[in-house]
Amino acid sequence: MLELKDVSFTYQGAAEPVLKGISMKAREGSFVSIIGASGSGKTTLFRLLNGLEEPDSGSILIDGKPLSEHRSYASYMPQQDLLFPWLTVEKNVMLPMRIRHCPKEECRKQALEMLRQVGLSEWAEHFPRELSGGMRQRVSFARTLCAGGKLMLLDEPFSALDSITRLSLQEWLREQWAELGRTILFITHDVEEALFLSEKILVLTGSPANELKEFDVLLPRERTREMLDLPGVNALKAELTGLLRKEACV
Amino acid sequence: MSGKRGSGTKCELTAAQRRFFGCLSLVLIAAVWQLMSMRIGKSFLLPSPADVLGCLWENRAEIFLVHFPATLEVILKGGVLSVLIGAVFAVLMDNSSMLCRALYPILTATQTVPIMCLSPIFVLWFGYTVKMRVTAVVLVNFFSVTVNLYDGLASTDRNREELMRTFGAGRLQIFTMLKMPSALPYFFTALHVVVPWSVITAAVAEWLGAQNGLGTYSRACMLKLDAAGLIAPLIVLSAFALIMNAILNMAERHFLKPVNGGREVKK
Repeated sequence: MLELKDVSFTYQGAAEPVLKGISMKAREGSFVSIIGASGSGKTTLFRLLNGLEEPDSGSILIDGKPLSEHRSYASYMPQQDLLFPWLTVEKNVMLPMRIRHCPKEECRKQALEMLRQVGLSEWAEHFPRELSGGMRQRVSFARTLCAGGKLMLLDEPFSALDSITRLSLQEWLREQWAELGRTILFITHDVEEALFLSEKILVLTGSPANELKEFDVLLPRERTREMLDLPGVNALKAELTGLLRKEACV
Repeated sequence: MSGKRGSGTKCELTAAQRRFFGCLSLVLIAAVWQLMSMRIGKSFLLPSPADVLGCLWENRAEIFLVHFPATLEVILKGGVLSVLIGAVFAVLMDNSSMLCRALYPILTATQTVPIMCLSPIFVLWFGYTVKMRVTAVVLVNFFSVTVNLYDGLASTDRNREELMRTFGAGRLQIFTMLKMPSALPYFFTALHVVVPWSVITAAVAEWLGAQNGLGTYSRACMLKLDAAGLIAPLIVLSAFALIMNAILNMAERHFLKPVNGGREVKK
């Protein structure tokens, strides 16, 4: 279980905090989407969760223990794939394990397994430039899986992709989540994407951001796109869109 | 001197075509030179390419067995030391912004003093020794390595660096797995400066005073008004610099191919 209690954060040299008294909870194995207006502090929240920044006040707890007491509890997937162009697909996926000094053969075996999982095992020896945008994101996802940890932080991973690839990767991600059973925190600007993917949606509100408003997505675990047209889901979509519009005007 | 080398607006030629045009231009220059020399008719003013080649052949033992090895020693020692010292400064500056601010003006100042003016001081310190000439080569060359390599290290993608930190990478891992490959093209840019300038500086330092070396030989010929003898060692130095450059191009193609994601490096 991940829990944030009254977390505040200000960037060095900035007059205003980005986050002020933010609290949230995510249970193990859940899929939670975080949405908010541009610049609302979503990525900052992830930077705090993956240890790149320290909160000014408040606490981040994993299974009741402070974040600093955990090692490799979270893996991060950024907006751009950030694959290393000089490494083959396989070596890119191996990178987090090589950093942890895993034996090369073991890394290789696990990387190939992850590539099989994302349907790219036959591309292992290729370089990233030979792959399409969607394939590169899947490699990036495989690398994130190899980084270990129960919590996956996915920061707008599909935002740079065309709409067709995006839709297919959303479906693919849901399958991966169901299979892997990891907790996923997913940042997106797209309300429909959040509704299709998640069990719970958190909206970052206020300026500076001071509240994560919670909305449960009342759809079954096995879901289809047609379900997004159900009256209850449509009402939630309208409510979320309205809230985002209001936040964008603040 | 810093930064990535040009991205191709030059016309695309195959390797064979490039070699052909290279040889053709060499033949043309030699022909024009020969004609001018014949027209002037005074070999102490402008010896012909044939005079120079004749001098090289006559004095081949002295040039290639005595003087060339002496110059080669200075070029290699000076070149290698320039790269090592330049790289150490670049890494130090990349690791500490305070050190960078402190060192950069001093390093720049070292490049504002002409080597001809500084060399007498090196002679006073080290005498007419290899050490004196190597010091001159290092002083001229290390800066281009520092500046280029520092630019390369500093240009590393910060997002990738942060991603590695989220994977738990330490400074050394970030340096070896990310910064070094990112800076490799810049490093080769520096080497392309170091190679010819090591040759030039070694010869100039020998002109200022040395027992052996192609610069020393050239200077001795000048005092005898032997223009062919003056030019012959310079031809050897130029040929050596061209060979070194070709080897460097091959090394660059070999090492930069993986950095370019398996794409061939066009040279």
